[in-house]
Amino acid sequence: MFTNTLFLLSAALTIGGAFAVVYSENLMHACIFLLASFFGVAGLYACIGADFLAATQLVVYAGGVVILMLFAIMLTGGTANNFNRFGLEKIAAMGNKKTYFMAGITAVVSSLVLLKIIANVLRNQSSAALEANLPTVERIGTVLATDHILAFEISSVLLLGALIGAAVISRPRTEKND
Amino acid sequence: MNSTVVTYLSQSKELTLATEWLTKALGFNASSLVAFIVFAVVCLIVVGVMSTIGGLGTYAERKISADLQMRVGPNRVGPYGILQFLADGVKMILKEDIIPSGADRFTFILAPFLCLIGVFATLAVVPFSSGFMLADLNVGIFYLLGMASLVGVGVFLGGYASNSKWSMLGGMRGASQIISYEIPATITIISIVLLAGGLSMGTLIGGQGGMPQQWYLFHNPFSFIGFFIFFIASLAETNRAPFDLPEAESELVSGYHTEYSGMRFGLFALAEYIEVFVVCGVATALFLGGYKVPFDLGTGSILVEKLGMDEMLAKNLGQILEIGSFFTKTLGLYYVVIWVRWTLPRLRVDQLMTLCWKYLTPIAIFNLLGCAVWMYAFDGKSIYSLLFESVASVAGHH
Repeated sequence: MFTNTLFLLSAALTIGGAFAVVYSENLMHACIFLLASFFGVAGLYACIGADFLAATQLVVYAGGVVILMLFAIMLTGGTANNFNRFGLEKIAAMGNKKTYFMAGITAVVSSLVLLKIIANVLRNQSSAALEANLPTVERIGTVLATDHILAFEISSVLLLGALIGAAVISRPRTEKND
Repeated sequence: MNSTVVTYLSQSKELTLATEWLTKALGFNASSLVAFIVFAVVCLIVVGVMSTIGGLGTYAERKISADLQMRVGPNRVGPYGILQFLADGVKMILKEDIIPSGADRFTFILAPFLCLIGVFATLAVVPFSSGFMLADLNVGIFYLLGMASLVGVGVFLGGYASNSKWSMLGGMRGASQIISYEIPATITIISIVLLAGGLSMGTLIGGQGGMPQQWYLFHNPFSFIGFFIFFIASLAETNRAPFDLPEAESELVSGYHTEYSGMRFGLFALAEYIEVFVVCGVATALFLGGYKVPFDLGTGSILVEKLGMDEMLAKNLGQILEIGSFFTKTLGLYYVVIWVRWTLPRLRVDQLMTLCWKYLTPIAIFNLLGCAVWMYAFDGKSIYSLLFESVASVAGHH
């Protein structure tokens, strides 16, 4: 009962947020709706008992990604005017044939991929009952440090590379001509 | 099973009786309904009490600042002016609600609520006592970090939506400051999680004891330094002086809430004061033993044993003692926060970033490694127990 309510609420938040992102004309507002959508996804994770994943979703997306996107939009002035100096729309808004075409193809392809993934679950409906609120943190930690150690290490190297790259790019250039 | 306020209260006879009566009257199993009602009532109580504490925080701030500057402070409304915050609240509600003409209306209205939602959502895992906790999530402290980051979004959007240079600069400073200082704070929290071996508030506090030598503050030298790192970083995260650059009066009028008036401004202020309480509570829970009371008074077992008290009564008494312990430590830290604000001058922006990235973050990482090595080398024993044991063994030889 409670889980069902939570699921319906989070699903509505996710889908409603996603629609609002697509249909809002103001980029800044779209970003806020995206935040709502991320919260909905966190709620969905919480429904299936993946508490650590839900909290990670909040920390990474709500805390980091959305603020970075807001910064990026603000610094590039994305909301100021949608028309360039010739009076043409800069952002290809909804209603462009090209965007509809691309979005349609993307939707079909991604839903096919998703279907392939969840086909097993659909075929045998009697999936195992949810294990009630088992702590997932320890299991995730164990699996990360044993079975998936290579992926873990590679991602840490990737992050280190990104960190160094950011430092190199943002560093003030020193003049060599003196 | 994680303990929450619902599981604690379901031990009492009265509630069991009420549940049985309701089950008979309604014709279905009413235990989940009762649990929901209890939870809702307790949520309302927590939000109400916390809002009052936030309001009294403004009063405390003025009174303490007045003390430090040898003034009298508010003393007209009520005894010692203690009702000043109610008068302020009434004034804010009655004020005209101004939205600047160039403002982004939707975002402008949303921003204070984002701040408030973020802070109130963190209250769910604040451990007031072993029984009085809304939800002891398995990922408690992690959840708290995620929710608290909503405040940063609120501050930033508030600054952006106001269509004013001062607000804009304040909001940008606020957001960059909050996401920068989250790093040392989080790394310090991780080092404490390492000591406790779990992310839930119950585990974090359960590893400590009531006496000061059993606190994580005095567990090892690294966690001792970690406490100060965490405290400084949380001062910066809550935009408190000496890190109140987002609302630096001398440069930015009032920062990100320059254009806000009436209750919208009040919501920002309320969110800030409650957030200060929450981070003080987290510091208490992580380093100062949380709600723990010495001599097992918290569980009430000693009262039952020595005084022959009724079990539930002893438990309730223990809970009250625990709540008292938690609030005493937290409000003590709250006092320090206010004290620091009226003592230290404000940092410059470059000094702020230097402090975070060149000092606090490396020290926090060093602490994390230090804690890990300590756990490995000394088998997780605290410095006190190591010293005590060596003294005992020396004494045993003679």
